[in-house]
Amino acid sequence: MEENTSVRVLCPKLLLPHKNEPGFQWLIGSPFFPPLTIISTVRCIHTLSTSDAPDLLKESEDLRALLLKGFDVIGAFVIGKSDSESKVREAIDAARRLRKLLSNGGEDLENKEMIGAYVDLNSKTDIRFFVSKSASSTSIEPVNSVVHEEKPEKFVWETGCLLRCEVPIRFPVYFPVNSPIDAEKIYWRATEAVAAKLKDPQVVYMVETIRKTSAEGPKPLILRGAELDFQTDVSNIKLLDKDAQGSDPKCIPCAHFCLKSKPDSQKFSAENADTIQVSVLLNNSEKSLKSIAPVAEYVPALEEARLLVVSFKLEVLCYAAKDIPVMYAVSKLIIPGLVDQLNSMKNLILPNLLTEHPQLRPYHFNPPGVLHPITVIYELNYGETEMKQVEIRKSLHLRLGLPFDRPLLRIANVLDLSTTNVGGRSDSIRKGSTFLKDVHIEIPSSGVSGGSMSLVQGSYEYYHYLQDGFNDSGWGCAYRSLQTIISWFRLQHYTSIDVPSHREIQQSLVEIDDKDPSFIGSREWIGAIELSFVLDKLLGVSCKVMNLRSGAEVPEKCRELALHFENQGTPIMIGGGVLAYTLLGVDYNEASGDCAFLILDPHYTGNDDLKKIVNGGWCGWKKAVDSKGKSFFLHDKFYNLLLPQRPNMV
Amino acid sequence: MVKAVVGEETQLKLIEDRLTQSRLPVGLVIGKLSSPLDRGFVFDLIPTPPNDAREPACSLVETTAKDDKKKGPKSKSQASADSSSSSSSSSLFIDNDWVAEHARQVARMLVGGMKVIGIYIWVSDTVFKNSTITLCQLLQTVKGVAEAAPLLENDREERLLIHICYSPMRWTCRNCTWTSNITSSSLRPCDFKMGRVLTSLQTFKCNYSFNLRLPICQESSSNIQTLSDVLRQGISHHAKELKDARAVIDGNLVISDEPSTSDGVQEVELLLPFMKDTYAEACSQKDVLGVLLFKGSVCSFAYLNSKEPVSQAVADIKRDIIMSLQSRLDIICDEAYGDMGQTEDVSQEASDGISTDKPVSQLDLQSLRKECSLSFPRRVFVPWLAGTYICDYLQPSETLEVLKDHCVELMSMEAPSDASTILEPEKEALSLVTKPFWDVAIPFNSASCSPLGKNGIDTREESGKKSTKSNNLNIVGAILFLLLSIVVGLVLYVVRGSKT
Repeated sequence: MEENTSVRVLCPKLLLPHKNEPGFQWLIGSPFFPPLTIISTVRCIHTLSTSDAPDLLKESEDLRALLLKGFDVIGAFVIGKSDSESKVREAIDAARRLRKLLSNGGEDLENKEMIGAYVDLNSKTDIRFFVSKSASSTSIEPVNSVVHEEKPEKFVWETGCLLRCEVPIRFPVYFPVNSPIDAEKIYWRATEAVAAKLKDPQVVYMVETIRKTSAEGPKPLILRGAELDFQTDVSNIKLLDKDAQGSDPKCIPCAHFCLKSKPDSQKFSAENADTIQVSVLLNNSEKSLKSIAPVAEYVPALEEARLLVVSFKLEVLCYAAKDIPVMYAVSKLIIPGLVDQLNSMKNLILPNLLTEHPQLRPYHFNPPGVLHPITVIYELNYGETEMKQVEIRKSLHLRLGLPFDRPLLRIANVLDLSTTNVGGRSDSIRKGSTFLKDVHIEIPSSGVSGGSMSLVQGSYEYYHYLQDGFNDSGWGCAYRSLQTIISWFRLQHYTSIDVPSHREIQQSLVEIDDKDPSFIGSREWIGAIELSFVLDKLLGVSCKVMNLRSGAEVPEKCRELALHFENQGTPIMIGGGVLAYTLLGVDYNEASGDCAFLILDPHYTGNDDLKKIVNGGWCGWKKAVDSKGKSFFLHDKFYNLLLPQRPNMV
Repeated sequence: MVKAVVGEETQLKLIEDRLTQSRLPVGLVIGKLSSPLDRGFVFDLIPTPPNDAREPACSLVETTAKDDKKKGPKSKSQASADSSSSSSSSSLFIDNDWVAEHARQVARMLVGGMKVIGIYIWVSDTVFKNSTITLCQLLQTVKGVAEAAPLLENDREERLLIHICYSPMRWTCRNCTWTSNITSSSLRPCDFKMGRVLTSLQTFKCNYSFNLRLPICQESSSNIQTLSDVLRQGISHHAKELKDARAVIDGNLVISDEPSTSDGVQEVELLLPFMKDTYAEACSQKDVLGVLLFKGSVCSFAYLNSKEPVSQAVADIKRDIIMSLQSRLDIICDEAYGDMGQTEDVSQEASDGISTDKPVSQLDLQSLRKECSLSFPRRVFVPWLAGTYICDYLQPSETLEVLKDHCVELMSMEAPSDASTILEPEKEALSLVTKPFWDVAIPFNSASCSPLGKNGIDTREESGKKSTKSNNLNIVGAILFLLLSIVVGLVLYVVRGSKT
């Protein structure tokens, strides 16, 4: 019997533990996937102070906000050093209890299968999987067959789509002035009333597609609160769909609002996923209602009362299989999602109810390596660089296994679903930037046989001579190189400052007393050292500087440079005796010593025509010695290489 | 800008007959102006009745007449109607205020998509040409009408001026526009023809219910906020919210601007944002004296020309709902002013100076510390031309008889003989069961369930209620308690004393 069960793993990397330390992770799946399918793992970060058991209450609060509706905790993964079986049993039990908490006790988990996984750090064996059939039995069965999905993104986004619902809510709270305790009670009840109203028969959910290929999209669907079914369990929904596929609005599947055929070039990702927009409206005009002429009634407050307006910006994202009726996606995912978010926000506001309310806003992210989007509620009263927010981001990075030196969960990284056109959307259009980006992407290869390429990680903008109508020909190359480097930091969201102009660069050098005030507005060159000063002043970025007495020494440093691109991934500025360049990568064959350098040349004076730039060799691979025997790095000149270090921040 | 106007041909004969008989040479044009179609539709012309002093709204004054007759325009009107040829130099006198008042009253009786869109005059060509009346004077009248019965919130207003000449019988139509002041106004002739207008109208219906909770916050300034002021603010605020509402017609969401093709009465449902209480915003963090609950429903109709986009019907319905609420409040206030005049006379005799009989709508909520309620008149619908309806409002004390007077006087129509043809969709508002403030304050709270169950607030609330209901009683209680405690203290003292 056990032979038939197999665990399907969608995420290729995530099951590896962070470093080699014991840990505990939750396995995430979806009711819309085949049973025992793991889409991702999230780390448990709250443990009880008395033992190392997970603090389920805190975990459930975090995960309720983090996980989209449509994803569930389906098990637990233990990274341990001893006695696997009992640990796994405990872990499965914890996962089951967590899931119970997440569903607010509303889900029947008695016969839900749960996965337990275990890896022994000492013995270096593979991960072992176990399945627990039901909550009542303590036995767990080992699973020997593990299937790794080859194209997990395709699977996830072909199976399902996203539903997005944004509801700004604002309501008054009246409270007795001399009794703040009652204020909290009334506030509590008011939010409860709002949550209950979401299921009211008068409420109308309007479903429409966000992305339209043409004006002729599917018509918006109106779902009335009175028609919604809150009883049917998610796992039973599909059955209903099969017997009644008709024009009945109750049976219209989510797929109705998704694109029928996708362009082949379309990448499967959360950003490109089919997204359905759901709006919440209130129907104030029911046919059946008895009409009663208006009446006004004044109710005086019998004790000193004060009014407080509380506002919430709810925005939930849900994941639903395309073949389930939209109606169930609304009643089983959207509404519970809204209620959970409302409750989370309610709790966050409560301590400051009578003072300044935290400005809470939900954001959705789809960090690299995580197959599904997540939702995070940020508090933005003091901006996102405030320490509290930094700590929140750090703990999220820890939970999701993201690197601690990449800002991946800043507001600038949010999942962009608002777009109206499909595919072919370039970032520069979205952000309104006019500069060319990532010009090296389609250049001819370096010609180094058997070399391994190490390249800049992430996007940059190409800055060169004469741009923006500013004539810096003959002196501005280092400034341009600096602009390219700063654009990289901007685009990786380490900073939000604008790329500085020549004058602003000079200004900051004067401000740190490196140059005299007369330097501002001059046409003086700057070098690698000045660049490092400016990077430190404007971005707080530190740099390593490589001093080379002769251009002949550059190829010797190839190995070191390759390491830089792998570990830091920032663009390098090459300065020194003659011309300034930006180095974007190296191609190096360790055995033969053959090497090439990916040079981005700021001396280009033409217009931003990618073809011209590539054909003219303004961005391209340069060998240290070319086919005509000419050296790219001059042997009689000295070189300074500036290696900006990636900041250790999130 | 309206370039062509179509008049209802079936009404033509009737109108001309009525005009010849009534001898009332000025009146209102009822119809609709459609800016997307650049067209105007005229449903009916309604003569303005003589004013309260039995003087007609329009008269012809001969400038050659003797001085002592100048002040008697009534006699002149006879002359003008009888013989237009007799006077060679005469001027048309129009009682602008009275025509405007007529427009105001009639506008209240029209439902969505039917409006007072201008005035007509019924004089012979010679009089029209020979009279010293300038077009500017007529424009003043039109403008007065426009102000009394506004069509839209637009800055540019547009109305019709129809001149009907009876010898020879000819209709001419002019389009009047003006911006803020009359000087930049203009009168342009536009095409006028007869055709079928009323029979092609489509009917839209909406049963709109609302439930507003308007907080009354403590104002530092001394400006008096009467109940009707607050309601007026609330209505105009709600109008803004309603403007953005989505609409569903017969179950289909209105998305395109196509004309509607379905027949019969179409049911409109209005969908508002889920919960955006923007009214209370202004009062946030302020002390609140109480809450004004304003709830009920409005039964609304709108008529749409079959060539107009459906979105127009939605806009007309929304406007009708707001207009209906405003009209009802106006009626209440009008009546209150009348009552106030009466009570002032009475209070002269009354011994105590403070008049407590102030009409409810005029109560100052800043100083009022007790409950009060105000029932709005209910809306009834009276059959009008070609299966359409006009409306009227009935106060709780009034009966359908009141309608007849309004129909005859204001709309110049025959009183509905059969009461069963009158639609009475709205039930009379009952005075609500008074709920305590803390229950009313919870959003969405309905009478059936009180979310404040048995808890601290409830008891607090009750004690609070008692205390303010009878402040005197409380003081008496306090004194009694004091006395009692003194007695108890004394007794204890005595008992203790006796023990030792």
